[in-house]
Amino acid sequence: MAAKAAFPHDYRYGTSRPWTIAAQRLNPPGKKRRKVFVEPIANEDWHVLRGDTVEILSGKDKGKQGKVAQVFRRRNWVILEGLNTHYRYIGRSGDYRGTYIASEAPLLLKDVTLIDPTDRKPTDIEWRYTEEGERVRVSVRTGRIIPKPVYQRKDGIIPQQWKDGPKDTSPEDTLQTTYTPSLKTLEEEVMEKMNIQEDRRPRKSYWY
Amino acid sequence: MAAAVASRLTAAICRQFQRVVTVSSHTQPQYATQALSKFHSCQPRQMYDSWWFRSSMNNRALHTSCVRKGLEEFFDLPENWGEQTVKSGAPWTAKQLRVKSNEDLHKLWYVLLKEKNMLLTSEQEAKRQRLPMPSPERLKKVERSMKRLDTVVKEREDALRLLQTGQEKGRPGEWRRNVFGKTFWYRFREHPIPWYLNSRYKRRRFFEPSHVAPYTRLSLEKYLRSKIRKEKRDKRNQKRFAAMFPKKTALA
Repeated sequence: MAAKAAFPHDYRYGTSRPWTIAAQRLNPPGKKRRKVFVEPIANEDWHVLRGDTVEILSGKDKGKQGKVAQVFRRRNWVILEGLNTHYRYIGRSGDYRGTYIASEAPLLLKDVTLIDPTDRKPTDIEWRYTEEGERVRVSVRTGRIIPKPVYQRKDGIIPQQWKDGPKDTSPEDTLQTTYTPSLKTLEEEVMEKMNIQEDRRPRKSYWY
Repeated sequence: MAAAVASRLTAAICRQFQRVVTVSSHTQPQYATQALSKFHSCQPRQMYDSWWFRSSMNNRALHTSCVRKGLEEFFDLPENWGEQTVKSGAPWTAKQLRVKSNEDLHKLWYVLLKEKNMLLTSEQEAKRQRLPMPSPERLKKVERSMKRLDTVVKEREDALRLLQTGQEKGRPGEWRRNVFGKTFWYRFREHPIPWYLNSRYKRRRFFEPSHVAPYTRLSLEKYLRSKIRKEKRDKRNQKRFAAMFPKKTALA
């Protein structure tokens, strides 16, 4: 099993993954930088999910609405598609200055809000429970439930369009209940089914 | 593998491999003896030699059974050979496994095991050929499914044991003190001989020697100090963060 990735306590998390060269440049082994303070938000209180439409409240693109592409929980960052961009060159080599592309900068969580789907205006969000007991995001102003956004999976699979392969169990077979609770252990039940008679007595052993 | 293969349970027969060549036993020896006799007629030999080879005591009947050894189970389905990616479904979840009977779980375990062996073979072969393995996430899915199956079986065993005996742990153990003065949960092991005859066990020291005793108190003090420091730090940080991040609504 792979070991859990360990970071020093003053590791500065950036937008690149830790194994990339950019991240290694951001955190060289001997560096000591000013500590960046991140507002502690509990896991249950996080309300912006990937694929949500949010509005920017401050910054260059104030007032614009965009879809969330990435969420960085470590720094309370959110990256929107195509908004809050700056321009840079990538892939430069030798004399060629590279391609000029727009790259998005991360926004802090407190600078974005979710949008009420009814009137498409920014609103505050609370976590509340429905009658069935489901925990949902509710807009404070109108009381409308904001549904979880549908986001395409990384492997490109759309669950509604899935076709079972030869080695896949069909959904009906998977959900079929075959368990009847009984006072037998798995071994006893299996031995009964396979007609195995075990007459040998276990040898005396000592536990210490 | 939306849970690997319930089909394999019933269809070990269905999915049989017609490409396996069967060689029937009774035809073979005649062919062998004929070949031998032909061979001998080519060479200039004396009469008694060919008689010697043809007599029954020197002719072992050649029997070859069909190559049905099951090695093909170590390899993927033939239509997946040479593919860069192989489609596979989601792994089994613990919730789905809990509704299955013990017999089903027993069968599923072996199905998953065989699939895991097949994937490990494919991984090793890819390493040998220095090529990327097609769809390595299948291995992770199988491992997770097996882990969850094990968890479900353990849960059932725990429930039964608690009901019938009231024992919380399946494996006996007790709290003991090791040579360094640390108290830990010592898990018992099974032995064929009692402890007073086990010389290696008698050499193990489950007590702290007298020169180690002062350090127990010191390490306890260290632990308490660090706990208090952590609590104080958390309280201090709470005040700082409240000042740094005032609670205000996102909209004015």
